[in-house]
Amino acid sequence: MQKTLLTVAATLLAGLSVSAHATNWLQLQGTEPGGSTDRFKLWGFIQPQFNYTSNSKLPVGGWSGQNAVFNQIGPDLKSSSTFQLRRARIGVRGANFPLDSKTNYFLLIEAGQNGITELSDSAVAATDASVTLNHIPYARIRLGQFKTPGSEEGLQAIHVFNYINFTQVTDNLLLERFFDGDGSNIQDSNRPNGSVGAFRDIGVQVFDWFNWLGWEHSYAAMVGNGNGINRMDNNNDKDYYLYWASERVFGNSKGARRECWKLFGWYINGKRTLQFVNGVAGEQDFDRKRWGFGTTFRKGKMRAAAEYIDADGMIFAGTDGGAVPGSRNNADTATSSFNISPDGKANGYYVDIGYKILPKLELDLRYDYLDRVKNIDAQEREFNNWTIGAQWFFNKKTRMLVNYEIRDAKAPNFPSSAGPNQILNEVDNRVTVQLLAIY
Amino acid sequence: MKRSIRPWAWLMALFCLVAGSQAFAAPEDKPFAEKKIVLQISDQDAYKQTLVLNVASNLIKHYGPDKVDVEIVAFGPGLRLLFNDNSNQSRIDRLAEDSGVKFSACMNTMSKMTKVLGHEPKLNRDAKPVPAGVVRIIDLVDQGYILIKP
Repeated sequence: MQKTLLTVAATLLAGLSVSAHATNWLQLQGTEPGGSTDRFKLWGFIQPQFNYTSNSKLPVGGWSGQNAVFNQIGPDLKSSSTFQLRRARIGVRGANFPLDSKTNYFLLIEAGQNGITELSDSAVAATDASVTLNHIPYARIRLGQFKTPGSEEGLQAIHVFNYINFTQVTDNLLLERFFDGDGSNIQDSNRPNGSVGAFRDIGVQVFDWFNWLGWEHSYAAMVGNGNGINRMDNNNDKDYYLYWASERVFGNSKGARRECWKLFGWYINGKRTLQFVNGVAGEQDFDRKRWGFGTTFRKGKMRAAAEYIDADGMIFAGTDGGAVPGSRNNADTATSSFNISPDGKANGYYVDIGYKILPKLELDLRYDYLDRVKNIDAQEREFNNWTIGAQWFFNKKTRMLVNYEIRDAKAPNFPSSAGPNQILNEVDNRVTVQLLAIY
Repeated sequence: MKRSIRPWAWLMALFCLVAGSQAFAAPEDKPFAEKKIVLQISDQDAYKQTLVLNVASNLIKHYGPDKVDVEIVAFGPGLRLLFNDNSNQSRIDRLAEDSGVKFSACMNTMSKMTKVLGHEPKLNRDAKPVPAGVVRIIDLVDQGYILIKP
């Protein structure tokens, strides 16, 4: 029996090898090519863009006639028609001691106008700062601040993202905003207390990839603060991340747009601490769990992606009356605030396809669905969005993106004539145009 | 009576002469090579590593693997191309095994790197150690190789 097991183990190990040229997000973002990496590689990208909605006002409710938060452009929420420097990043990466490929580093700084900088009242902020140790076979170690292993939409490099805005399911459930309360204090706007999470955390990750039976498999396990970026933890509970991906790579293609078919799954478990819940001041901890699975495909002119996302706890739940947080109601008795449903549940998914009709022109179509706070009738909201997109590739590092988002939302447990549905009927479609230049 | 030399001995001597001259005149594994090229890589730039491999591939593609003899000599910071963890390893393997491209690794550089690293770096299995990369290039040029530094 023991001999049989040894034979099986030997056979399995014989079929397992480290890929010499393969790439995936864990590899692309966390490691450098062995033996050929410079000490210092300067890189970055700039994304200026224009955003527009028709700025429909709130039709009913305490804030009737005022701006609707969903028709304003974030993170400032002061305009429905604005130019924006969405991202401006500069970074360095490489092998700090080129003769020894086993130590890599990655540093990236953000100077754009987005949830990382504006919400932290900082003109410049680090998005990534990490060191990777490649000494242990099949267990590389990455420490610092970096993208967490998880949803494809969050984990992928943003400068190869095929759209301008995230799907609503990713934006609401995974692009975390950190709050002090649940929004139940009617005199407080409950603004985020720091940068958005930006799909990142500070912690330690063990990961690697290998080829087996014709597929490239990668895994990651991470422990992090679960309190966002550029600050330490606010409690003693940690977030735990698990990730697995298996890819069938077509040919010898490499890089962020390599041709492959990928299957992946992920799980996140953590706790969040709030200081004001259900109208009562006092520290309380709540579970925050997320999991999902999905697939991506790219070959020739065609690409496609789909992902299911499930969430339990700490669900972002819009604003009071659909108004811009901080605005006083017409009776001047309450302030609209961001709301969190600490015990809420949600799920959703997206399906996305793209096709290059010309060497320089790709057309894209995406559908995404979110069922938010599905376990509490009064708070449940459903979102159905279609995004029609086009990408014009000036060259490999410069492209123009145009997106038209057809947005629809409803409160399924209220009649169509009820206030929540009248408000949600005013969700405007959104037009966004972006120029992206990588250097 | 004077003893005559047997015919088979003459044949043996002739064979040795021809074989010996071939061994010095041209590589045994490229007997039909019409072009002989030595490529120098002494730069640590990753782009240069790719470039030197591209040049070797293009030479093989243009002349055919039997008609061109290509040797890549790595020394100085360029020796990293021949480390066994180099990201181009599979490509180097293909060039060596499928096209007969030779790779020479400078031992002077190895010695220096060993002192800096505290241990000897592992070389690609296709790398052939030579005492000094620059001397290897001079020897090859003396044998009629054309030196190209991409």
